[in-house]
Amino acid sequence: MDFSLTEEQKARRREFYDTCKELDKKKPPSLVGFEAIYELDECWEYNLSCAREFAKRGWLALAWPPEYDGRGDMMDKVLFAEARGYYGIPGVDIFGVQMLAPTLLQAASEEINREFLPPIARGEVMWCELWSEPNAGSDLATLSATAVRKGDEYIINGQKTWNTGAHRADWGFGVFKTDPSARKHHNMTFILLDMKTAGITVRPIPYLDGSAPYCEVYFDDAHVPARNIVGQEHEGWAVVNLLAGFERSGINEIMSMLRGLEQLVAYCNQTKRHGQPLARNPLIRNRLAELACELEAARALAYRVADLQNRNEMSLMDASAGKIFFSELGERFAFLATDILGPYGQVRTSRWAPLNGVWEKMFHEHFITTISMGTNEIQRNIIAWYGLGLPRMR
Amino acid sequence: MDLRFTETQEILKKAARDFLATECPKTLIRELEQGEMGYCPELWKKMAELGWMGLIIPEEYEGIGYTFQDLAVLLEEIGRNILPGPLIATLTSAFAILEAGTEEQKKELLPKVAQGELILTTALLEGDGVFDASGIAVKAAPKGDKFLINGTKLFVEMAHVADYILCVARTKDGTPPEKGITLFLVDSTTPGISWEVIPTTAEDKLCEVRFEDVNVPGKNVLGKIDEGWPIVEMMLRKGAIAKCAESIGAIQTCVEMTVAYAKERVQYERPIGAFQALQHKMADMWTAMETSRYLVYEAAWMESEGLPCAKEASMAKAYVNEVYKNVSKWSVRLHGAIATSADHDIPLYYRRSKAADIAYGGTDFHREIVAQKIGLV
Repeated sequence: MDFSLTEEQKARRREFYDTCKELDKKKPPSLVGFEAIYELDECWEYNLSCAREFAKRGWLALAWPPEYDGRGDMMDKVLFAEARGYYGIPGVDIFGVQMLAPTLLQAASEEINREFLPPIARGEVMWCELWSEPNAGSDLATLSATAVRKGDEYIINGQKTWNTGAHRADWGFGVFKTDPSARKHHNMTFILLDMKTAGITVRPIPYLDGSAPYCEVYFDDAHVPARNIVGQEHEGWAVVNLLAGFERSGINEIMSMLRGLEQLVAYCNQTKRHGQPLARNPLIRNRLAELACELEAARALAYRVADLQNRNEMSLMDASAGKIFFSELGERFAFLATDILGPYGQVRTSRWAPLNGVWEKMFHEHFITTISMGTNEIQRNIIAWYGLGLPRMR
Repeated sequence: MDLRFTETQEILKKAARDFLATECPKTLIRELEQGEMGYCPELWKKMAELGWMGLIIPEEYEGIGYTFQDLAVLLEEIGRNILPGPLIATLTSAFAILEAGTEEQKKELLPKVAQGELILTTALLEGDGVFDASGIAVKAAPKGDKFLINGTKLFVEMAHVADYILCVARTKDGTPPEKGITLFLVDSTTPGISWEVIPTTAEDKLCEVRFEDVNVPGKNVLGKIDEGWPIVEMMLRKGAIAKCAESIGAIQTCVEMTVAYAKERVQYERPIGAFQALQHKMADMWTAMETSRYLVYEAAWMESEGLPCAKEASMAKAYVNEVYKNVSKWSVRLHGAIATSADHDIPLYYRRSKAADIAYGGTDFHREIVAQKIGLV
């Protein structure tokens, strides 16, 4: 067992960190939390400018094959995610770069890859995901939005929901029912579509804190070229499963929490209550130390997942365990930090908000990690059924 | 980065698993709990023949010279089978001799440890029950070229069968309390030493050891006079990681036994493992195990590489302490009433989770170290 990085990897990590540190200096103060990039214009602009910076260095094509101008390997991707997580730097499109690109490389035709990969690598085209529907959440395979083949087009009708940043995205990838008569899991197709297509309406959904990271997307006779599919027609479920397996280490979120812990420690050292620093309060020391232990455990497991992915192996169980653990750690962290801040723990970004209101924001945003990307309850099913071999629910 | 076991480690693991499966049945574990010795000398001898006691002892002292990480791999297997005995106590004390001993001490003691001829233990805790230097009141007073030790040590692991007791004593009143601590290699047959086994949760033969005018020759001082505390810190760090490795194995057995039982126990006309209430609990147990595992492996790797890892070792111990107690608790709960029977194997693990928690520092002790290491003033 060897947790060390090679000299080359260390040098690249330094480059990733240095670049992110520089970009951090230009970050708008309004960029607090995960989702502000989708909500506020200045944050979205910042996101795009970071994407261009990364594209210049080829970092949006990490672990891609050379024929698509790829460079580096999975480990570089992990180290890059670490640096971005630590400094809270956007610019790597979760949907285009992290999810879709590796899926295309494994499942799409060369023609599709030649068309769609280069704009992703250049940071020019931003994507959204069109999966969930009002009546198809965890049980996605029961979806009902349809794409009916007519000549060289699909005509799409129906509704998708919980689409992060769909109002900002240029393109979307989704699954639609293409063969209503076929059995479950063999009746849908994975389709790429231009969000400017006539017949598509995007409406933001007010989130519980009044922001709007999610949207709902309506399709009303939207015509999409039939060639824009990934995998076989009617076999989109296999592509969905493939995509869900990518980039699951969670190292980005974990490093973001690690920076958060450092900031909270500094706050506790500097802030006096009852005439002494908060840091001297034994309860606060104990609770912060407990969290630090859990954070290190999460990080070590993330490296385990990354190490497997780097060898093209994948432990579904470890990826699910990691997701459950780091996302629920996010909940605990948000509760603990807002506890420690006392009455200031409820203040939104303003002059009264310690650390720019990031912990108040986390009090709302932690649901995004526990519920998205397969709810933690679904992850527990995965561990129980596929990992531990317990009987499947019928 | 490559988080797989090395080939050597795979071989070590498999050999240990096969050996323990035949040599360490639960009937033996129960006998040892009831008996006075608390370990099995014949088994100890076979373990020595396999090279386990000499694993981390360098070849120049007739050991095998494997790494700390290799030891962690072995201890994980030992933990799966909850093999009782003074292995970690002996090896942690041996680490102190390796690090701080004179050449003469090393040459005399380490080959015998490697051969399985010597059992060592360390006497640290006293009446205060704390793991920091403020708890050390047992006095060692110079008398000619000897020292005279007086006082009582508590919770000394298997002192009743140890050949040498590594006694952590105060040679000077110190401020801060870390100053003035000296370590002594005390031959357990020296007149003035008496002991009594303390009944404990895990029946693991922790002893009260009384020192009454015990004469220790000056050549048996381990390390520098008055400056012994850093050696204790090293032993606590290595011992904590070692205990964690052992705990990981025990946690794995708890998870495996519970999952196996849930597949076979039928209620409401189906295996109870078909119920999501139980499935999700087992998924949580598995998740807790995996998060523990890589945290411990990381600490063991750092220790092996000689990297500073006081923070990581304490993080691992503070975390795994709680995971072991909780996973074994849930193993009892998911088995139902059957696992509350003394004849069931799961309670053997549950009771040991408390012993593992306390050994080499409890959760709050290690969390305080973590609090300091993450920069809280």
